[in-house]
Amino acid sequence: MKRFICTLAACAIALALAPWPAAAGQDAQGKIIEELRKEIQELRGEMNSQRQSYENKMGDMQRKLDALSRRVEVNKPSGEEELSAALAKQKGGGTVSAEGSSVAAAIQSMNPQASVILDTIYYNDDTDDGFSEMSHKMAGFGHSHGGDDEDEHHHGLKKGFNLRHVELAFSAEVDPYFKGYANVAVTEDNAEIHEAYIDTSALPWGFKLRAGKFFSNFSRINSQHTHDWDFVDAPLIYTLTLGDHRLLDKGAQLSWLAPTPFHLLFGVEALQGDNEMMFNYLGGDNLPEKNGPRLWVGWLKYSPNLFGGHGLEIGPYFARGVHQEAHDGNSDGTEDHWLNGHSQFYGVDVVYKYDSGKAYGEGDLTLQADYFRRAKDLSVEQHDLAPALIGKDRTATQDGYYVQGVYGFLPRWRAGLRWEQVGLTNKDTFPDGTSADYDASWRLTGMVDFTPSHFSRLRLQSAYGSYAMDGGEDQEAWQVWLQLMVSLGTHGAHKF
Amino acid sequence: MKRIILGLCRALIPLALIVMLSSGTISAAGKLNIVCTTTDLASIAKAIAGEEAQVTSITTGMEDPHFIQAKPSYMIHARDADLWVRVGMGLEVGWEPPLIDGSRNAAIRPGSSGHLDASEKVLRLEVPTTRITRAMGDVHPEGNPHYWLDPLNGRIVAGEIAKRLIKLDPARAQAYQKNLESFRNHLDDAMFGSMLTHRLGGARLWAWQVKGDLERRLTELGMLKDAGGWWAAMRPFKGQGIITFHKSWIYFSNRFGLKVLDELEPKPGVPPSGPHLKKIVGLIETNHVKLILQEPFYPVKAASLLASQTKAKVVVIANSVGGDPLAKDYISLINLIVSRTSKALR
Repeated sequence: MKRFICTLAACAIALALAPWPAAAGQDAQGKIIEELRKEIQELRGEMNSQRQSYENKMGDMQRKLDALSRRVEVNKPSGEEELSAALAKQKGGGTVSAEGSSVAAAIQSMNPQASVILDTIYYNDDTDDGFSEMSHKMAGFGHSHGGDDEDEHHHGLKKGFNLRHVELAFSAEVDPYFKGYANVAVTEDNAEIHEAYIDTSALPWGFKLRAGKFFSNFSRINSQHTHDWDFVDAPLIYTLTLGDHRLLDKGAQLSWLAPTPFHLLFGVEALQGDNEMMFNYLGGDNLPEKNGPRLWVGWLKYSPNLFGGHGLEIGPYFARGVHQEAHDGNSDGTEDHWLNGHSQFYGVDVVYKYDSGKAYGEGDLTLQADYFRRAKDLSVEQHDLAPALIGKDRTATQDGYYVQGVYGFLPRWRAGLRWEQVGLTNKDTFPDGTSADYDASWRLTGMVDFTPSHFSRLRLQSAYGSYAMDGGEDQEAWQVWLQLMVSLGTHGAHKF
Repeated sequence: MKRIILGLCRALIPLALIVMLSSGTISAAGKLNIVCTTTDLASIAKAIAGEEAQVTSITTGMEDPHFIQAKPSYMIHARDADLWVRVGMGLEVGWEPPLIDGSRNAAIRPGSSGHLDASEKVLRLEVPTTRITRAMGDVHPEGNPHYWLDPLNGRIVAGEIAKRLIKLDPARAQAYQKNLESFRNHLDDAMFGSMLTHRLGGARLWAWQVKGDLERRLTELGMLKDAGGWWAAMRPFKGQGIITFHKSWIYFSNRFGLKVLDELEPKPGVPPSGPHLKKIVGLIETNHVKLILQEPFYPVKAASLLASQTKAKVVVIANSVGGDPLAKDYISLINLIVSRTSKALR
C-alpha cells in the first residue's frame, strides 16, 4: 500500500512538471511519464486482483454463515420443495412440456430405425463400349471365371441416367444381447440383400460377434456403403479385383477391442467364399469340393490418441481363400481346363481426418490412402487338351493403390482429388512355364460436392486416365459423373 | 489335433493374461470414470463428483457440438467409462451411437444405469407440438437441445448427476450430496447475489422466478435493491429484442427475459442467405435491436454485414465451457455470457 502511495505521489509530481517541459529534456520526460503510467496501470491491476480475492474470501465466509443460518431455519418449508413444485407446474403448462413428447418418443423408439437412400447418377465417358466393359480388358486383370453368370452382378454405370439402387436399411436393438441390421438394395430389375447381420452387444472384455451377410470390415472402402464414399465410385483396384460389391459375403466375424490406452481393434472373419472374382468357387466333377468357410480375413485397426480435431486410423489387412477357375482354352464354347488353388490379398489403408470444429463442415479435411496387392496361386487340376500340364502351377499377382484428399473449402461445399495407379507389378505365370509382365495404368479424379443438409448431397466428379490394355496398347478415357443422393428417414450417425 | 489345441492354448494364454491384467488395473484404481459428451456437463459432473472421480469430456467447447467426428480415440474414453452423460434431445445423434457401439461397453448403453441423459428432467423449450418435416431444417423432435444455457437447467442437471452418482457409488453418497449443495449455493449466489440467497434461500428464489413473480415478491419484501448476480445484471434489459445466429440462445434469453426476434439461419442448420438477411435488417431497425449474438464456430460474415448496415453490435460468445479462456467452468461460462450481453445491451 505504501508503495502505491509513493508511486502515486511520484506520478503527481511528474504530471505537475509535464506542462512546463524544458526544450532539451522533453523526450526523457515523456519516457518517464510513460513508465510511470505503466506502473500505475500495473498497480491498478494488482489492486483489482487483490480486491477480487478479498471479495471471494468474503463470499466464502458469507456462504459459510449462510449455511450456518440455514441450518438454524429448520422449521421453514424447504425451498427445494417449493422449486420442484413450481417446475412440475411449469412442465404441465403446455408450452414447455417434456413428459408428453417423451411418451411419444418412447413408443416410437420401439420401432426399428428405417432409412431409404436414393442414389441417382448421370454418367458418361468417351470409350466405345463403356468404361466398365473396357476395364475388363485391362492388362493383367483378365478375370476368367467359369460360370455363365458373368453379367449377373453387373453394376457398372451405363452412359446416361442411372438409378444406382435404392437402399432400404433397418436397424434395431433386438434385446439386451443382440442388435440387428438389414440393408436391402432394390434395383429396377430385382432386389438383393446387401447386408443382413446380427451383432452381439453384451459380450464382455471388448469382444463382439457378427453373423449373417456383411461387407468385410477390412478397409475403409470395403466396409463403407457406396453412399458414404467421398467419390461416386470405388478406387479401380477394388472394382478390378473384387468386383462391384467388393468383399460382401456370408459368414461370421469376431472382433476384439484391446484394453490398450489407444484404439486397437482386431478382427477375424470366416466367410463362405462366394466372391465371383477373387474367391471364386465352382466345385463339381472337375474340381475338388470344398466346404465353407472357404475364405478367411484378418484385419487390425490402430488409432493413436491425437489432440483436438485430428484423427488417424491405420488398418493393415490380410485375406486368404479357396479359388477355382474353369477355362475354355480353344474358344469352342466348352470348358476344357480347370484350375484350383488359393487366392490371397493383403494391404494397408490409412485415414487421417481433421475436424475444424467450424459449422457446416468448413475447413474439414480427410486424407485417405490404401495399397492393395493380390496373389493367385493355382495349379492345373484337369486339362482335356494338354494333360501334360496337369499339376503345373498358374500364378498371378495384381496390385494398386490410391491416395485421396477431400477438403471443405466453403460452408457445405467440399472438393476432392484422387490419384490412383493399378498394375504396378502385375504378372502372370502360365502352366507351360511362360510368363508375362504388364504395364501400369493410372487415373486422376476430381470431385466437388454440395451438401445442402445432412440428408442430401449433389456431386460432380470427373476423371481422366490412361489404361494399359490386354493387347499391350494404352487407352485413354475421360469419365464424368453427376450424382444426387438423398436419405429419407432416421438420421444415421456418421462413423469415423 | 493335439498340436492344434496346444497351439491355440499358446496363443490364447497371453491374450487372456492381457485381458485380466488390464481389467484388473481399471477396477483397482477405484475411482469412478465419468465421460460427458460436452464440457458443460463435464464441468457440472466435476463439481458434483469432486475428487472421487475422473471426469472427461468428448468435446472441447470450441466446436459445433452437433457435428463431432466420431474418432476411434473417443471410443477408448467410452470403453473405460463407468458413467456416460449426454446432453440428449438429439444433439449428439450424429456421433454418439458409433462411440457407444464401438466402445463395446454394455454398461453405458442407453437405458442402463451407466448412461445418463441429462435432459430427462430439464425445462424444455420449442418441443414441437405439430407434425414436423425435414423441410423445416434441423428441428429436433424432442425440443431445442441447447438447454444448458439456462442456469436453472444447469442446477437441475447437477441434481440428476448427483442422484446417479449416489446410485452407482452409494458409499460416497454423503460427499456427492454435499458437493451438490455447494454447487447449487454457488450457482444461486451467482444468479441472485448472496444477499438475497442468504435471506431467502436460493431454491425459493428460483421457484419464484419460475412462477414469474420474483420481482413482485422482492418489491413487496423491499428487497429488490439487495438483488445481485446475473439476474440483477440482466434485469434492466428485460423485454429487449436480440438476433442470434442459430437457435441456440433461446434458453438463455428465456431465463433473462430477452426476446429472440429471429435467427441469421433462415432454418436451423441452413446458412444465412441474402433475402433472409434483408428481412433481418428491417427487423433490427423497427425493434431497435442492439445485439446480434453468435458462437465462435459459426462464420461471422453475415453478422458483420448486418452490423455495418444497422446499429446492432455483433457479440461472439462461446456457448460452452472451454470455448473461451474465461469460461473455465459452468458458472464462469454463464458469467461471461451475462457480462458480454449486458455490456452490449447497455
